[in-house]
Amino acid sequence: MKVLELKNVHKVYNTTQVEVHAVNSVTLDFDQGEFAAIVGPSGSGKTTLLNMIGGLDKPSQGQILVNGTDLTRLKSSELIDFRLYNIGFVFQSYNLIPVLTAKENVEFIMNLQKWPREKRDRRTRELLEAVGLADRMNSRPAQMSGGQQQRVAVARALASKPKFILADEPTANLDTRSTENLLDIMETLNKNENMTFIFATHDPRVMKKAHRVITLEDGKVIEDRKKQ
Amino acid sequence: MKNYTYAWRNLWRNRRRTFITAASIFFAVFFALIMRSLQLGTYDYMFKNIIESYSGYIQVQNPEFWEDKVVDNTMLPDEDLISTLKADKNVLELIPRFESFALASSGSRTKGVMIMGINPEKENLLSDVKNKLVKYRLTEAAIDSLTREDIPRNTLRNLKLFSGSSYSGDGKLQTELGIRDKDTSHIMPLFRKHAGVQNGYFSQDSQGALVGNRLAQYLGLSRGDTIVLLGQGYHGTTAAGKYAIDGIVRLPAPDLDNKIVYLPVTRCQELYNAPGRLTALVLHIKDNSDRAIEQTVERLMSRIDSTYRLMGWKEMNDTIVNQMDADNKSGMIMIGILYLVIAFGVFGTVLMMTAERRREMGVLISIGMRKSKMAIIMLYEMLLIGIMGIMSGVAVSLPVIIYGYHHPIVFSSKMAKMWEDYGFEPVMAFQWIDTYFIWQSLVVAIIVLIAAMYPVFRIYRLKEVEALKA
Repeated sequence: MKVLELKNVHKVYNTTQVEVHAVNSVTLDFDQGEFAAIVGPSGSGKTTLLNMIGGLDKPSQGQILVNGTDLTRLKSSELIDFRLYNIGFVFQSYNLIPVLTAKENVEFIMNLQKWPREKRDRRTRELLEAVGLADRMNSRPAQMSGGQQQRVAVARALASKPKFILADEPTANLDTRSTENLLDIMETLNKNENMTFIFATHDPRVMKKAHRVITLEDGKVIEDRKKQ
Repeated sequence: MKNYTYAWRNLWRNRRRTFITAASIFFAVFFALIMRSLQLGTYDYMFKNIIESYSGYIQVQNPEFWEDKVVDNTMLPDEDLISTLKADKNVLELIPRFESFALASSGSRTKGVMIMGINPEKENLLSDVKNKLVKYRLTEAAIDSLTREDIPRNTLRNLKLFSGSSYSGDGKLQTELGIRDKDTSHIMPLFRKHAGVQNGYFSQDSQGALVGNRLAQYLGLSRGDTIVLLGQGYHGTTAAGKYAIDGIVRLPAPDLDNKIVYLPVTRCQELYNAPGRLTALVLHIKDNSDRAIEQTVERLMSRIDSTYRLMGWKEMNDTIVNQMDADNKSGMIMIGILYLVIAFGVFGTVLMMTAERRREMGVLISIGMRKSKMAIIMLYEMLLIGIMGIMSGVAVSLPVIIYGYHHPIVFSSKMAKMWEDYGFEPVMAFQWIDTYFIWQSLVVAIIVLIAAMYPVFRIYRLKEVEALKA
């Protein structure tokens, strides 16, 4: 079942002197439960593409359909609600809320969705156990290592069971051990929860784990390879 | 998590900044309240002095008298008027007055004076003339004698500064001369001995007069001396009389002290050939609040006929009321400047707070937080800082104002002399807790809310992708 479709997506930045085609005629689709990586060198358009998929940026041309909803037609306020209920984000620099504990950070989106307390608590515990941080529930981000913070960020992204997770360079700030640990966790969650993961990365460790690797160059898809 | 809990935690991300901002609000509220209380309290004190020494709160007059204060415009109050006034629920007593002008002379000196015919007993209900009789006068001879006594050095220094001053009570003398409490038992008998003034009050039947202290000094009068009054009486008759000085009074309003001569009202009517006539009936009232006065005037106006006119104290003292109003406005400008400085301080914090959290705002909106919710959280943060500053400002200023209300600042030595030279009582009084507390707090709260509009504006203009790059 297709969860995400990109149809002839373009993104053009008009600078004062030249037009820059950050994303150029990209057509892709993703099935439920995929574990895909968008790769390419710096400036190839990975983050721009990911931002458009996440409804953070609008394409200059083309359509982005999530379960049939065209994101390009949604207003800014509708996009915020759409993201809340459909998309989970994992950022390169974790971006946890510094004044909240690990538990509160994971609960945050469920809170915004007004989940009942009991259900929220159960899900938070379940996710923090899954990412191996059940004992750090009451720690604040500043009291945790980078790897631990990124695991909390993954738990936060998964909390409300979105349609898919977008992760922009999630391992860029992590050491090898933390990266492998994080990728194992995400892979497990992908299997157990049938959650779609889309990474933008140039980390070979992520590419190795990914089941599908889409390579971008100068904004164009030059390769879309699915592993067996 | 509730919005306010999140906002509260955000406040403590940068404790120092939160404390500094709350402290700036605290100081704004504190100083504004103290300044306002002192300003309003001092006005009240001055008004009270004028009202209680001269005009009273409400007067009934001949309608012509206020514009043309001649004896021909006096009134002959009839029984109906008296009974109507006495029957009013806010009126306690009617105090008769006969006010005019005359030329006063003693020896070779002459001066235009205000003659005030009063009922010696009833007048004490309002202006308490009896307690304003001069008890001490620092003549050169008295100062000479006192300097030979064992008196602390600072009191001696102040004695020279206040040479020629008179006092109707021990308290003011002690304050102005800087006499300490522990020295009073030793020093006050010396003052009574060398600077004490023989003085007396008068009765309704008395043939004598009371004169203001400054006037007495100008005319060189003391108790038992004679003053000659010459003026124009009722219907053009000559008003001339000779009166012994029964006593010398010191009025707090220097202008009045410089020109007042009190006579028993019947003597005054005789002097002006106007038996039974009065220039005014002053109403001694129960409730002297502005609202009660307005209501009393309105009520009585509908009950008395048009041959009489009712005047409230503001109408009778419009010059001083206008002066105070102008001064009040300049005080408000000062407070406005204080608020402006604080507003920039608060705005600086808001700018910093918004700039350093731009990325976080981008993240939160990206993951699905509505902009309205984020704006509410920012508003809560500013409100919480505002509430902390305002509450602490109010809490700290309250005891200061309560203490100041019960213990007005009475200037001593040079400062007191300077105030008196400008024609003011050297007293700064505080006003009791009143609506100005609400107004000042409200103004600061509005400033904080206006400053909080900036992050709200920035949140609504925020572009997620740009914010995430911040």
